[in-house]
Amino acid sequence: MSWLHTLFALILLPAIAVGMIRILRGPTAADRMMTAQLFGTCGVAILLLLSAGMLNPVLIDIALVFALLAALATLTFIRRTWQGSGKNKHGYPLS
Amino acid sequence: MTYSILTLFDIILVATLLWLGWRLLSSEDIFKAVVLFISFGLLMALAWVRMRAPDVALAEAALGAGLTGPLFLAALRRMNRSHKGERRLDIDENRDGDHGKNSEPT
Amino acid sequence: MDILYHSGTLFIVIGVLFFLSGTVGLIRFPDIYTRLHALTKADNVGLGCVVCGLALQSGSWVLTVKLLLIWLLVLIASSASCHLIASSAMQKNIKPWTRP
Repeated sequence: MSWLHTLFALILLPAIAVGMIRILRGPTAADRMMTAQLFGTCGVAILLLLSAGMLNPVLIDIALVFALLAALATLTFIRRTWQGSGKNKHGYPLS
Repeated sequence: MTYSILTLFDIILVATLLWLGWRLLSSEDIFKAVVLFISFGLLMALAWVRMRAPDVALAEAALGAGLTGPLFLAALRRMNRSHKGERRLDIDENRDGDHGKNSEPT
Repeated sequence: MDILYHSGTLFIVIGVLFFLSGTVGLIRFPDIYTRLHALTKADNVGLGCVVCGLALQSGSWVLTVKLLLIWLLVLIASSASCHLIASSAMQKNIKPWTRP
């Protein structure tokens, strides 16, 4: 009965492919980064479902690495790219 | 050769990877290319998993999604600072902020 | 055992539906804050339901603990980055969308 998990992973993969539209025409930079974050979470779910579908428990470790490193890209984007040069009248106030 | 649901999965994965690589290489905006590169690394890890190489997928996940993405984003900021006005960077709010900051003292 | 398997399948279906609705919301919503709302629902609840379903079906304690650890990490990452994005979008004076 492992084809059911593979079917769910197959359903989730076009969600990534369709969400690419928001990267291509995001008005602000944060929209594109948010889409990349959704892709990370979606990829974790696909890996978990594939590990049940392919009967391979190793894939859970890859999903663990993804979940561990998912925050890095968004946090670097906020602190280094999006917020840096916009020195408004509050300075660097991010609490 | 037997076909299964995984064959359809592979076809969609390869098509998305090819389309993504083409859009990544042909994009004029550098920030969009960086974000597309991060998603490309994610899908590439899935492709390595499907090629039954989970160790390479682990390395791709750690390097592609966790290391090069933040490095590129940090480098983009440096490039934005040193090459201001030469490259087209589509971070609109920064340009608006700089515009406001330049036009405010005058 | 059977009822565990079927309830796990039900949880996975709910999670996949949350992921699909999150993607649709990310494409169709008009504003950065509303898109952030759709994104967090897909992250937390969708992955949570998928993890719960797989943990019900896994049948071993080690896999269950690993799955719950994955969910915990994604929860921390998603909530922290969503808070950062929303607060720095407020600082950049991006106006929230109002019904015209």
